[in-house]
Amino acid sequence: MASILVGLIILLIVVVLVQILRVNELLSEVNDKDANEVTDSDNNTQGILFFTIAGVIYLALVLWQFKYWGVHILPPASSLHGATIDGLMNFTLGLIIFVFFITQPILVWFVFKYRGSKNKAAFYYPHNNKLEIIWTTVPTITLAAVILYGLNVWIDITSADTSDATVVEVYAKQFNWTARYAGDDNTLGDSNFRLVKGLNELGVDMEDVNAKDDIVTREVHLVVGKPVLLKFRSQDVIHSAYLPHFRVQMNCVPGMTTQFAFTPTQTTAEMKEQEGENFDFILLCNKICGIAHYNMQMKFIVESEEDYNTWIASQKTLKNTLTLK
Amino acid sequence: MMELALKRNIVSKQLLCVGICGIVMFFAGLTSAYIVRKAEGNWLEFEMPVWFTISTVAIIASSALLWFSFQNIRVGRSATQLLLGTLILGFFFAYSQVQGWEQLISEGVYLTGEGSNPAGSFIYVITLAHLLHLVGGLIALSVTTIKSKQGKYSKENYLGIGLTSIYWHFLGLLWLYLFLFFSYT
Amino acid sequence: MSEHHKETFITKYVFSLDHKMIAKQFLITGMLMGIVGMAMSILFRLQLSNPGESFAVLEFFFGEKWAPGGVLDPNMYLALVTMHGTILVFWVLTAGLTGTFANFLIPLQIGARDMASGFINMLSYWFFFGATIVMLISLFVESGPASAGWTVYPPLSALPQAIPGSGLGQDLWLIGMALFIVSSLLGGLNYIVTILNLRTKGMSMLRLPLTVWALLITAIIGVLTFPVLLACALLLIFDRSFGTSFYLSDIIINGEMLHNTGGSPILFEHLFWFLGHPEVYIILLPALGLVSEVMSVNTRKPIFGYKAMVGAMIAIAFLSCIVWGHHMFVTGMDPFLGSVFTFTTLLIAIPSAVKVFNYLTTLWKGNIRFTPAMLFAIGFVSTFITGGLTGLILGDSALDINVHDTYFVVGHFHIVMGVSAIYGMFAGVYHWFPKMYGRMMNKKLGYFHFWVTFISAYGVFFPMHFLGLAGLPRRYYTNSAFPMFDGLTDINEVITFFAIIGGLVQLLFIFNFFYSIFKGTKASQNPWKSNTLEWTAPIERIHGNWPGEIPTVERWPYDYSKPGADDDFIPQDVPLTEGETEH
Repeated sequence: MASILVGLIILLIVVVLVQILRVNELLSEVNDKDANEVTDSDNNTQGILFFTIAGVIYLALVLWQFKYWGVHILPPASSLHGATIDGLMNFTLGLIIFVFFITQPILVWFVFKYRGSKNKAAFYYPHNNKLEIIWTTVPTITLAAVILYGLNVWIDITSADTSDATVVEVYAKQFNWTARYAGDDNTLGDSNFRLVKGLNELGVDMEDVNAKDDIVTREVHLVVGKPVLLKFRSQDVIHSAYLPHFRVQMNCVPGMTTQFAFTPTQTTAEMKEQEGENFDFILLCNKICGIAHYNMQMKFIVESEEDYNTWIASQKTLKNTLTLK
Repeated sequence: MMELALKRNIVSKQLLCVGICGIVMFFAGLTSAYIVRKAEGNWLEFEMPVWFTISTVAIIASSALLWFSFQNIRVGRSATQLLLGTLILGFFFAYSQVQGWEQLISEGVYLTGEGSNPAGSFIYVITLAHLLHLVGGLIALSVTTIKSKQGKYSKENYLGIGLTSIYWHFLGLLWLYLFLFFSYT
Repeated sequence: MSEHHKETFITKYVFSLDHKMIAKQFLITGMLMGIVGMAMSILFRLQLSNPGESFAVLEFFFGEKWAPGGVLDPNMYLALVTMHGTILVFWVLTAGLTGTFANFLIPLQIGARDMASGFINMLSYWFFFGATIVMLISLFVESGPASAGWTVYPPLSALPQAIPGSGLGQDLWLIGMALFIVSSLLGGLNYIVTILNLRTKGMSMLRLPLTVWALLITAIIGVLTFPVLLACALLLIFDRSFGTSFYLSDIIINGEMLHNTGGSPILFEHLFWFLGHPEVYIILLPALGLVSEVMSVNTRKPIFGYKAMVGAMIAIAFLSCIVWGHHMFVTGMDPFLGSVFTFTTLLIAIPSAVKVFNYLTTLWKGNIRFTPAMLFAIGFVSTFITGGLTGLILGDSALDINVHDTYFVVGHFHIVMGVSAIYGMFAGVYHWFPKMYGRMMNKKLGYFHFWVTFISAYGVFFPMHFLGLAGLPRRYYTNSAFPMFDGLTDINEVITFFAIIGGLVQLLFIFNFFYSIFKGTKASQNPWKSNTLEWTAPIERIHGNWPGEIPTVERWPYDYSKPGADDDFIPQDVPLTEGETEH
């Protein structure tokens, strides 16, 4: 019933539109004018509209959005490398906003100023090699700077010294995360997906001597100021470990191990004071992985060394939780 | 469309050649996937089956016959016999491919399932892809051979044989590339 | 010129060999699929901005199974996101844009009777039609359409156990895409060979309209990159249906341990993006070509820097083939590769900037005539600047770490493709409609369509950058699972609001289009007073385009407002006057 009504309404709207257009055309014919010819008056109107809407209003709204929605942008990074990323981001954002606020006004100003009329003429200006060279060279130099800066940050991040880092494995599957600490030897026991069975959810090879002190948890605790090396695995499809507050993201790909090292610089307690009681560092999945892709989360807690030691001491090692047979 | 008719020869050949570029990129994609995967290890090494060497000889021979048939029609002699020879060798190529696969299976190289390895899977998929393109070539050759038998080609008009030749020689060169690629990488 | 066969309804309208008819077939199929893809996005946005709320319209479209109680099922949400992307990227922006304008404009603008092979051209459309049918069927299968994103990464896209859409729906998607790729390749063959061989006397390469250059360059990269997607899809088909392990390894899904070892999903990503990135330039370049033409005609002056424009397009095309890794910065790739791809990606900004500055200079001291087409052409420049600039952030590997796969990416690619390139397409349709159908589209509706679209498009996609910088991932069924995103509800509601309005106003465009085909005011032969050759052909579209001889070309296409001329335009077939030099 409802769909018939909706269909009829649509039909009615179409009929009305058709009639309006017919009337419009007949009226033009009566006045011996072409309804679809673009007149000087049209040019004037559209030129003004363009300047106003695509210029003034658009740019004002962009500024408005920065002011009122900019507050939602992530707080400054809570990691060492994250701070360098933020620096690069601010630089690049600043650059593109600068270019934006120069080119868009030029565009709408030209569109307004040169709105056409019958008694005006355009200026025949087919090319100017000097100008081309200028606006090839300036972007090239600018981009060279952006590239050098960017590559600098990237190389620093990807060649970070991880020899002192605490190793923690983050294991992804549909639809949750599990963490595995490497224990006192800071070496993860070998794993193989064929060993996943029962309580051994991560397929750890208990024959490997390094595995005995591994600790499996459902949340990650980190010591503020100490580097950590996260190693990622996946059980089924590609997931992506996204820790936005730390500026960390790395795909978790079944069949390989990926990794990302970082050093947290703020404790969860500090962040709660800054951002509100409800704040938590969180791990999200950021690669489409199935029905509950939107709800794969794990808490990360950054704390002092004493608090961390208390917590880790209370966790059980694999030696104690997995039967050996 | 008189203007087009005059250029028909050139245009048809260019259409075919651009198409061949596309096919080359298709196999470039497959063979680069092969190289990337091989570099990751866990790669079964095995010899090319003898039947693939026989395939290579067959297709080169077929191209030779085709070339001679083309030389014939250019001076107005009938190309039918040599076209027929090419066609037969073409079918033999297809047969030898299948024999090659069976030889691989008997040597424990499988496409899929227990005991299979990407090294094997790639060989099957890529040679199958080549063979499917070759089927197109066989169809073209068959049509050309029949038309030749019907006397449709002459010294003035042998575009069909020309186009079929370009495509068939391409298939031969492609096979040669694949064969050497698999043998030496 | 009636050496042609007598035309029946079938040969004229269905299995036509005439490039103009084939162009219209592509256009209409693309437009209709565009409505489907657009509708999908409005429907899934309802869920995003009002999570868990019941909508009668959702239940109407998806029934009890996929929208129980009027609430969209999460699997169907992902399916809609996937199909929306697939349909808009390939059906509308590739086939609808190139298929239409390459077919329509190339022979007419170079002075040829038709494409090099009308038969291959016809096949190109019918393969496209077949692909369309297969994709549409996939929408109705019981386990749902493909749902792994338009990028269909395995293992998700390989395993029906991982998501239902990866069953039959994904099979049909792969078959549809294979047919689509064949269609694209067949078209590309024609475009290249026709432009290189069938130009009329006097039409040297440097006298070609920029539209033709753009379409030639697009066709070349298409022929080089689409086959790699076919190779990629072939290996996926084998993994899905024949148990190979090209992309799969070490998987336990739904408790089942799979036998595959040795495969790499990253290999898929390399092969996919080898096409995937050039694809977006296959979308953009024709739009650049169309806009160049529309802008020149409507500023009544030459496009500024013709050779630089050609050089920039070639540079963009070349660079586009060596940047694909920027989609894979966070896959754990070798950091050195990451550096290389950052370098090449940021380089693309240079020719893009050159083009923008050339457009601005074209507008400078022009005598601008605001046809609806021109509004869209100028809108193209505005959105290309906006969208292009955010590319600098995404192309920088270190910055991509925190914005990869967030709404920042969604905002960026929609503004450059879903807005800019579409504006190019609209500009093309409004501008060449008189040539296609001999009638004019309604101007007032055109203006209304432009302004509502312009405002809505920015309203939908600009805010997304803030969502991305707030850390909001894409392809999320709802944002309500993470308290950190609670503050973003307002922004989401604004986006949905504009999406609905922007979507609905497109129906007005569709109405204008079809109404004008039958009832539009009759067009004169050269209503825009344009120089290019298509406007020298008679309004009654005939097979073979020109009733007599094909015009000979005497000059380049951009002699608008040339000093010393009587009129503010000089068509290409007008010989140089005494003492006049060619540009």
